[in-house]
This record gives sequence, C-alpha cells and structure tokens, in this order.
Amino acid sequence: MRNNGAFSTIALAALLASTALPALAQGGGKAITIVLPEQPSNLEPCGSILTDVGQVLSQNITEPLTVINPKDGTPQPKLATKWERVNDTTWRFHLRDGVKFQDGKEFNAEAVAFTLKRMTGGAFTCNNLAKFGSAKLTVTPVDRLTVDIKTEKPEPILPALLSVAMMVSPATPTDKAVNDPVGTGPYKLNTFTPQTVVLDRFDGYWGKTPEIGKATYVWRGESSLRAAMVQTGEAQLTPAIAIQDATNPETDFSYLNSETTAIRIDTEQPPLNDVRVRKALNLAIDWQGMAELFGADVLRASQMVVPGINGHNPDLKPWGYDPDQAAKLLAEAKADGVPVGTAIKLIGRNGIYPNGNEALEAMMTMWEAVGFDIDLQMLDVADWTRYLQKPFPQERGPNLLQIMHDNNKGDAAFTVPIFYQSSGQYATFSDPKVDTLIGEALNATDTARTKAFQEILAEVHDRIAVDIPMFHMIGYTRVGKELDWRPNLTTNSEIPLAEIRLRK
Amino acid sequence: MFGYLGKRALHSVVSVLGLLVLVFFLTRLTGDPSYLFLPLDATPQAREAFSTLHGFDQPLHIQFFNYLGDLLHLDFGESLRQNRSAMEVALEAFPQTLKLAVLAIFLAGALALVVGSLAAAKPGSLFDRFASLVSLAGASAPDFWIAIVGILVFAVSLDLLPTSGTGSAAHWIMPIGVLMLRPFGLLVQVVRGTMIGALSSPYVKTARAKGVRRQKIIFSHALRNSLLPVITVAGDLATSLVNGAVVVESVFGWPGIGKLMIDAIIQRDFAVVQSTVLVTACAIFILNIAIDLLYAVLDPRIRYQTS
Repeated sequence: MRNNGAFSTIALAALLASTALPALAQGGGKAITIVLPEQPSNLEPCGSILTDVGQVLSQNITEPLTVINPKDGTPQPKLATKWERVNDTTWRFHLRDGVKFQDGKEFNAEAVAFTLKRMTGGAFTCNNLAKFGSAKLTVTPVDRLTVDIKTEKPEPILPALLSVAMMVSPATPTDKAVNDPVGTGPYKLNTFTPQTVVLDRFDGYWGKTPEIGKATYVWRGESSLRAAMVQTGEAQLTPAIAIQDATNPETDFSYLNSETTAIRIDTEQPPLNDVRVRKALNLAIDWQGMAELFGADVLRASQMVVPGINGHNPDLKPWGYDPDQAAKLLAEAKADGVPVGTAIKLIGRNGIYPNGNEALEAMMTMWEAVGFDIDLQMLDVADWTRYLQKPFPQERGPNLLQIMHDNNKGDAAFTVPIFYQSSGQYATFSDPKVDTLIGEALNATDTARTKAFQEILAEVHDRIAVDIPMFHMIGYTRVGKELDWRPNLTTNSEIPLAEIRLRK
Repeated sequence: MFGYLGKRALHSVVSVLGLLVLVFFLTRLTGDPSYLFLPLDATPQAREAFSTLHGFDQPLHIQFFNYLGDLLHLDFGESLRQNRSAMEVALEAFPQTLKLAVLAIFLAGALALVVGSLAAAKPGSLFDRFASLVSLAGASAPDFWIAIVGILVFAVSLDLLPTSGTGSAAHWIMPIGVLMLRPFGLLVQVVRGTMIGALSSPYVKTARAKGVRRQKIIFSHALRNSLLPVITVAGDLATSLVNGAVVVESVFGWPGIGKLMIDAIIQRDFAVVQSTVLVTACAIFILNIAIDLLYAVLDPRIRYQTS
C-alpha cells in the first residue's frame, strides 16, 4: 500500500513536470507553445506588419534585409550586411553570403529583386507596402550579392523601410497571397490549421542554431485564459495579457509597446482653431489621475513618437494639470470673441484600447469643469475612420478624436508627415513653416534628420498645441519560468524565437 | 411522406436563396472592407487598388450579379483574410460546432428527461425543489462567467482538465458542460411542467388503478405523451447551438462556425459571412425537417400530406 502511494506520488510529480516544462521537439531542441490573442488570419509575408501575422512570421520564417534596433531605432544588418547611398535616389545593399531559403534555393540579388517585384506587383494586397507610402522601387541586381534599389524621390530611410520587406523564395507564387511561406529564417512552417501553427527549426539556417526546436502557436481571445494557460504549463509564453491579469511579478513583464494614445484636435473648426483653446484642453486634464486607468508603468506622452524612435524629442515636457490656467485661457479667448461655448464632439472608438471609454468620460468631465461644452460620441471602427482620414465629413463640426498610433519602425517619418504635414492623411491643420520643416526632415540623414524631427515635434507641441498626447502605452506579457526572454518595443510585431533561451 | 419532404425541401431552397440575397446586401451596408483590412495609414491609392482587386469598386447591382453567377458555378468566393476558399473555411469549422451541439443537446435532453420526470412525480418534494433551483440557475447563469469560473477551478486550481483547445477527450468536458447547462435548465422546466399535466390525466389514473408500476407509469405512459413540447423546445435550442456556440467557442478556443461568423462580420470578410450563413441555414432547415418527422414518429395522430 505504501509502495502504491509512493508510486502515485512519483507518477503525479512526473505528470506535473511533463506539463510544466517544454517538451523535447523531434530533431532536437525544446518544444514550446505560444498562445496568441488572435488567430493569424493568413501567413502571407507581405502582411507581416499586421500583429497576428508578424508575431508568427517575422524573424522566424522570413527575414528582411535590415532590422530595427528597438533601443535607438537604427537599421541593423540582417540579410544585408551593409549598405551605402550611391546617389540621392539609389541605395546599394550588400547581401549576406551562404544564405539558403528553406526550400534549398539560394538567397541572392535576384531573390531580392523577386521579392520586391512580388510586393509591388499589385496582383494581391500587400499590407507592408503601406509603410512605403507612394515610394516606387526599381531593383537592379549588380552582381550575385549586390543589389541597387532606386526610388523616384530621395528616400533617406530606405534601409529602415526595408525592415518590413520579408524576403521570400523565388518559388513563391507572384499572382496570389500564400499561406505556406518559405523564407530564410531559423524556422520553417510545419503546419497551419484552424487550430495551430507549428514551426520547426530549420537545420540549414545561416545563423546560430536557436535553442527552441519547435514552436506551436495557438490562440485564445480571453486574456485571463491566456494567462491561465501559461500558469498551468499548457503554454510557455503569451505576448499580450490585460493589466488585471498581470499579477505575478515573476512571470509578468511590462514593456513600452510603441503605441501612443492621444486626442486629435480638429484645428480647422472654431473654437478649436484658437491656440489658447487648444492649450486649455491640454491643461484641464489631471494626467496623474488618468494614468491610473492604464497602469502604473504607463509613460506620460509629450509627442506622438515613442522614446527609442529616431526623432523623439526628449526635451519636450508634457502639459501639466492646471485647471485655473485652462479656465483663464478660455476666458481670454472668449473676451476676444472666440465661440468657446460651442458644443464640441468628443469622438471615441469602441474598444480602441482597454479603459478607452472610461478615459473619455473622465476627460469630458474635466473639460466641462473648466468651461467646455463636450458631447461624447462612441463610434465603431468604420464610422470612426471617416473622422480619422481625409476627406473628413463636411458636417463634422468642432471635434476631438480619440486616436492611438503605433510606430516601431525606427523613424519619426512614419508618424510626423501623416499627422502634421498639410497633405497628411490625418492632418487637420496647415502650417507653412511645419510643412517646410517636414520637407527638410524627410530629406535629411543622420543627426540632422533627428534634430529636424525633434524641432517639428517641439513646434507642434509648444507653438501650435495641435493635439493632446496622452500616454505611451504599456503592454504586458506572461513568460513561463522556464524561458529566459523579455518583451521590447518590437514585441507587438514580432516574437523572434531564436532570441528565446531556456533557463538552466 | 416523400411528397411532403419534397415540398419542404423546395420551400427551404427558396428560403436559403432569399437569405443569401438579404445577407449579400446587408453585409455591403456595413461599409468598405479596406478600412479594416488595410493598415490605418494605407494610402488612398492602396485602398483604391484593394477595391478594384476585389471588385468592390463596381456598382452594387453588378457585384450582386457577379455573385449570383459565381454561385451558379458553386464558387462562393475567397476569404479576404485567409487567402483561401470561403466555403472551405466554413465547412472546416461547421463540423466542430455540430459535434459540440449534438453532444450537448443530447446529454442535456437525456438528463432533463430523467430529472424533470422525477421532479414531476412528487411536486413540491425536496428533490423537486432542488431540481427547480438547479435548472433555473443553469438556465439563467451567463455561460461566459460559468466558462471562466470552470477554467479557474478545474484547470488552474485543481489541474484536472485542460484550460481550452481541442485534441483529447478531456478537452470536450468543459465546453460541453457549459454549453449544455442552459438547455438542461430550460428542458427540465418544460419536462416537469408537461409531466405534471400528464401525470394527472385520466389514463394515468386508470393505469394506477390497474396496478401498473410507478416507474412504468412515469417513463412509459406519461413521458411519451409529454415529449412533443419537449421536442419543440429542444429543437429550438439545438437550432441556436448549431447556429454557433459563440461564447463557448471564444472562451475555450474551439474552432467552430459561430466564432468564425462573428469574426467575419466584424472583419467584413463578406465571402466568409455568406458561406457560413449558407452552411448554417442548410443545417437548420435539415434539422427542422428532422424535428417534423420526429413528431410523426412520436405521435401516430400526426400525418404529413402534400396537399
């Protein structure tokens, strides 16, 4: 009887250990399970900027020529070892030698040309092209491992832009999107079903052999369920859990996730066309109180570009909480005939981020306390998008729009022109000085570029007070105790399995 | 009988076609899918190219005629998001929901027949009160909450069951348990109510007077006569389950058609919405015909005629 009891205890311990630790994968290396918040809609490398696709594909199955350093936003070598600017419109990239695609084909200049032609061919929708804006690329192989990429207009950040161009095997169909990508990454696709994606380590990888031998991706919508799966050992990592589920400091890690929340002011509409009114809107909010809605680690924002992105201005101070000053500015504007009593629409988007509705209700109360007349309207994404992008609805009236912007692509050029240039898709104002500065910044390089963007951000914050930056947002991940890995600025778009280590 | 079936099938085909037309126009009313499919910072040119590529730039009536033409060739379109046949996506998900729904409704029905009958045998007894309490709680408890609590108790605290997913027999226990709770609660109430009426009928009194055993009176005489309203309610509940057990599928990561349909509506993946509606509509029509036939089997007085 005692022996049976001991046997049961050992068996139970073995069972628990087997569920809590990653299993051994076929072909060596440990097998882990990653639970994602949503099902990857497809596995097309041209859609890797989408979170659900990128977190599986990027740096795992497919690799770009360059990657962005999350600490300073600079492009770093990946499949390109170095690059130089031949002239204003041409960049030359030198490619890594000895790289093979997972189907055995060689990675070379022709493969780069093939990938970029496939991306821009128009036979299917390539989401990653959104990062290139209107840039048109002409790719010319110079020799086996050298390629020239020419743009119609000068493109000083082409190496950064190419971080979203995932190189695919020349055997990939060009006329349709695919669900069986073949790249040069350290993992190859095993299966993609409605329940899982399974990646196996690619033995022919050019780089260091990763510790993880196999990764199985599953998806669950509920944050508490994802957290529970890591807790019980059913999964070893989940990249996004809600703040209320991040309760274990040993496994739950916060990270600056490259998203910035803000309220965009429609500066064309009175009374919002008066700078005093816009400053009053910024000063009327108790930002410390607001931060409690988003978690202790959230970072108060002074601009739409997060720290770590080229062009972020560290000297810009966020607006403080000064309701008396806000009321005084409003009174001054009113005395000068500005219709400050006009009802202003505060337009929110349902589910834009956790506690988004509560944040708007709190802000509405604070604005009304200093004398604004605010009318809160919550819209779904389709209706909300009409207000976000040009052409704006004619009948919109004075409005404030709840927004969240994501830029983890290394450069303020992915933010500043769309928000602050007269022709920008989200821009609600036109300022000749800012337009000139943006034109100069987009053509500048190195330190001059950084300074130019910093100057623009200072200009729109201090002089124009064009918007109401709220917070640089924080994400939470749960990482099993057996894994040594920490999230960073790029985690929303990629989870490189090769960077995951096992604790000894 | 075959004439009746043919007539019902014809009515069903007309209804399905009407439904598809309705769904086609309703989905188009939800707006331009490019706003959800493309990144927010996509250029207007990219949106235009997307619309042209997928035919959304065509006038609505042209889109509709193209859709009808494709239907005649059994081409249900391609999922915008999944890059594959929308019908393939729907048919992959439907069996997962069907299996879950069939098991849940049969288990709930069988349990409810026993519990409801026993409760009706002695109205007002301790068992009756307990059965009523449990069934009312089951019928009214939100399944989302039950599912989460179930995961916390049975998967996290007790480590007896997997939290979610598919694969082993253990993966079925919590989804079915949660899914059958509401049908069980409602059916117990229906069985109890109809059985109380049946047990006070003259034929039951006669059977008692003739000395027939109590169990035989309850389960053989009264229960069979009480089944018609139970079948009606169970059929209605089965229809809603086949239509998609959205909450259970979402919480337990079950790859069924309910969650697929909701996701497709939210994402404006029109071809998938149309395909999932078509598949579930066909299933529901078949289910309704089966229920009609079951009536005739249970009650010899019911006969279907074509005229």
